[in-house]
Amino acid sequence: MRAVNYNPKLRFQIMIILILLSIIFNIFGGYFTRFFVAEIIILSIFAISLDFIASRGGMVSLGHAMFLGIGAYATAILSINYGIPPFYATFFSILIGLFIALLIGYFIVLLDGIFFIMVTLALGEMFHAWVFTSELLGGSDGITGIMRPDLSFLKIDLNTPIIFSFYTIFWLIIVYNLISRITDAPLGRNLDAIRQNSERVSAIGGYKKTYKAIAFSISAGIASLAGSLYVQLNGFISPELTHWTVSGEGLIMIIVGGIGSISGAILGASVVHIIQHELSNIINWWMLVIGFGFILVVLFMKDGLWGLIESIKKKLGY
Amino acid sequence: MALKLTNLYKSFGSIRVLEDINIISNKKECIAIIGPNGAGKSTLFKVISGIVKQDIGNVEFNNKNINELNVEKRARLGISQSFQKNSLFLEMTVKESLMLACSHKYKTSFNLIKPLIKNNFISDDAIMIAKDIGLENYLDVQSEFLSYGLQRQLELGIAIACNPKLLLLDEPTAGMSPAETKDIITLIRKLSKDYSIIIVEHDMEVIYNLADKIYVLDRGKLIFEGSPNAVKNSKLVQKVYLGI
Repeated sequence: MRAVNYNPKLRFQIMIILILLSIIFNIFGGYFTRFFVAEIIILSIFAISLDFIASRGGMVSLGHAMFLGIGAYATAILSINYGIPPFYATFFSILIGLFIALLIGYFIVLLDGIFFIMVTLALGEMFHAWVFTSELLGGSDGITGIMRPDLSFLKIDLNTPIIFSFYTIFWLIIVYNLISRITDAPLGRNLDAIRQNSERVSAIGGYKKTYKAIAFSISAGIASLAGSLYVQLNGFISPELTHWTVSGEGLIMIIVGGIGSISGAILGASVVHIIQHELSNIINWWMLVIGFGFILVVLFMKDGLWGLIESIKKKLGY
Repeated sequence: MALKLTNLYKSFGSIRVLEDINIISNKKECIAIIGPNGAGKSTLFKVISGIVKQDIGNVEFNNKNINELNVEKRARLGISQSFQKNSLFLEMTVKESLMLACSHKYKTSFNLIKPLIKNNFISDDAIMIAKDIGLENYLDVQSEFLSYGLQRQLELGIAIACNPKLLLLDEPTAGMSPAETKDIITLIRKLSKDYSIIIVEHDMEVIYNLADKIYVLDRGKLIFEGSPNAVKNSKLVQKVYLGI
């Protein structure tokens, strides 16, 4: 796999700008803008989870929407069927995602390139097919009536769009900090080393399989968090969320943003989702434009928007 | 005794590449394996490090049978190697590469929170190793942009950084200038005071300078073993390997 973008200083600067922008839009925007900001933030969390394993462990997953679905359905079932408060349901959903990924990861993380992609695709599609026919999960209709967390003891009403949007930003900041720390820590550097030269990591006594399984689980836990926030934002969940195309869109976001940069994943999720939304309001053939734009990015901007910002910074002498 | 190879056999299909190999390497001894191209030297290294498994025979390390251990587990026991072709982390700087290898020595590779680069004792250790291998002025240079000779030095540095008990050096001076070769010889001689070393090398001057004992391989068989002087005076070795 090609080089990834590793620049902790620029990563932090871009993150700060993006967070400030989302806060400004949240404060000055209307109902729809706030909903839209929350949607972008949740997609960003999902994109970070994909970016982490794709860039650091060299694991490109086309089945990651499964974990988005696990987080979403677990939150729905736990809060509706078992009466667990939605705030705690989010934590349980993360743990369920982590645990399932650890079990799966143990068997698949050492698969190389195309084999890993195809196995994750197959697993994701199996999950999608099961969700589609499961009575417990509402089949093709999905589940409705999912509540948002009750934080009234803190005098916070998450049913207010602006507050819920800030709630998602809060989670994004936690996820960004967690992944940034792991990326810079020995585990993250070892994962990066595996991508660069797997044979040498073995020769220095690295625990390749364990590092990758841990990364895969953490990534799945974060995707599950995104799923949990998604159902709380929308109040419903349907099987479409678990389709492989959702994972594909996530990969497009991280490539557009710049693989491995973390902030690039947020940037990519924001830009792709905004373009998708705006274009679909204007033209029917918006997917054609998105596809063409993606090809241009791959051909001429291999480091995505992150690379563009980095080169502009260099030209300006910063 | 650091390493003991007993009755090793290895074939690839119908081609036998190692046949009845018996080698003993004592602690803090530098032994050399020489032989013409295709003699089986690299395969022997791969068998010792665990990349390739022998068909028959035993590999013992510090009196423990390690036949069933893979590369990672053997490395954790203290078998470290530098490769014939540079095998580096090309996107990392010299310091990062050495720190990464050191993180295994200090068993901190699972740390999820503290940035590797901010770990002071690992950083100090990496700088010490960089000084030992002559790369102290290149700490912040990305490995990809080092000259070939400097990359060879880093290759060796990564092998040392894991705190090995046995160093396997596969042609450490290959492609180096005479001045660089001289530096590497000095370094390996210094290392041989602390580590057991097995070296594969074509440059006989390097071998004579470093080895306590030399094993000569030809078409998968050990045909001679002895001191550097004995090898120099052996007509069999001169005929098979040196072509004299």
